[in-house]
Amino acid sequence: MKSKPPVMTRVTDLLKSEELQIEVLAGTSGLNRQITHSRIQKAGLAAAGFVSSVEKDRVQVLGATELEYMKSLDPESRQGVCRAICSTKAACLIACRGIDPPDELKVEADKSKFPLLKSRLQTGSLIEMTNSLLMSRLAGSKILHGVLIDVFGVGILLMGRSGIGKSETALDLILRGHRLVADDVVEVVRTGASAVVGMGAELLRHHMEIRGLGIINIKDLFGVSSVRDRKRLELVVDMVVWDEKQEYDRLGLEEHTYSILGVPVPYLVLPVAPGRNISVILEVAARDRLLKIKGVNAAKELQKKIHEAIAAGSMAHIPAESEE
Amino acid sequence: MDFGDKKAEKIVLVVNEKGLHLKPAQNIVNVASKFQSHILLGRDGQMVDAKSTLGLLALGAPKGTRLRIEAFGEDAAEAINALAGLFERAFGETGEES
Repeated sequence: MKSKPPVMTRVTDLLKSEELQIEVLAGTSGLNRQITHSRIQKAGLAAAGFVSSVEKDRVQVLGATELEYMKSLDPESRQGVCRAICSTKAACLIACRGIDPPDELKVEADKSKFPLLKSRLQTGSLIEMTNSLLMSRLAGSKILHGVLIDVFGVGILLMGRSGIGKSETALDLILRGHRLVADDVVEVVRTGASAVVGMGAELLRHHMEIRGLGIINIKDLFGVSSVRDRKRLELVVDMVVWDEKQEYDRLGLEEHTYSILGVPVPYLVLPVAPGRNISVILEVAARDRLLKIKGVNAAKELQKKIHEAIAAGSMAHIPAESEE
Repeated sequence: MDFGDKKAEKIVLVVNEKGLHLKPAQNIVNVASKFQSHILLGRDGQMVDAKSTLGLLALGAPKGTRLRIEAFGEDAAEAINALAGLFERAFGETGEES
């Protein structure tokens, strides 16, 4: 499993996003400056003249208050501040709420090839949206081998070596009304601090390979409700060959995670053996996941009850084998 | 997954006219499946399981593409040789075949 995440993105990439509603005001020749941090800096201190607070290769944001403050300065100090800001190595500066920054800033931005942008969004939403866009850009994407399927709304990634029966299990789940996202090749992208989303390769979308049948098209065979284009990964299930010597989790007290692009995703190892109906187990795993998301952990609850019972010495009342 | 610490790799070239389409993909899977090793094939950032037809098709590799084969396992070297041979023989396809 190889991935090559881009370590940086460029200011031009921000312009491509329609939801950020960004337009360029000045410093066009600096638009290919790089961005290496997903966190946004509010340029409040910089607006007050303390430009050493400005970090290299980061997006700077000017809110309404900062812009107001700059306008209140006398022309000479305003020009000084604008020149100082534009001489920094920041990636770019975005003015929020569609407010036009002072003219001096535009002039200095052009001189120093410093990208000066404007967005109609409010400061808070701009920061949040830019942050999540940058986070997904900087984390990159990755190809995983497995099957991604939506079971009761829980995105389950089935992994395991070829021939273990991932596709067959997925087919079984589709017949039970669940939805296929991708077979074999799952492209994952990070979409926020704790979310990874998976999708199929464009070309292969909704196709599956079933040994003995060949390549089949799930959407044509089972209809539009049997597939979906993308799904957040909420559970990783590793299918392994049942090994007598291996110990498997019998309680589920501990929660394991599998890291995908730096995001920990709940992880289960599922031993496969004849007589084990994997799709039924996966349905139950999905229901259990939903409960856990709501804060209910069956193993922990039982453990608590047993602890209480033992502490109260009340195990004795459990009826013994009938004595007649 | 543990496949032992033996590893082999090789760069191959897609030489047949129609690129890595369905039949070559099937060919590769059939050969790769004879080996115990875990085998990956592809390019940087897009390495797919050589035992999966769909994965290979997802590469969408036209004639002239350079691909890397990596194998992990006891029979890694043999697997690489067998697969590289397929590429060299253009999967048995001639240029004029339609």
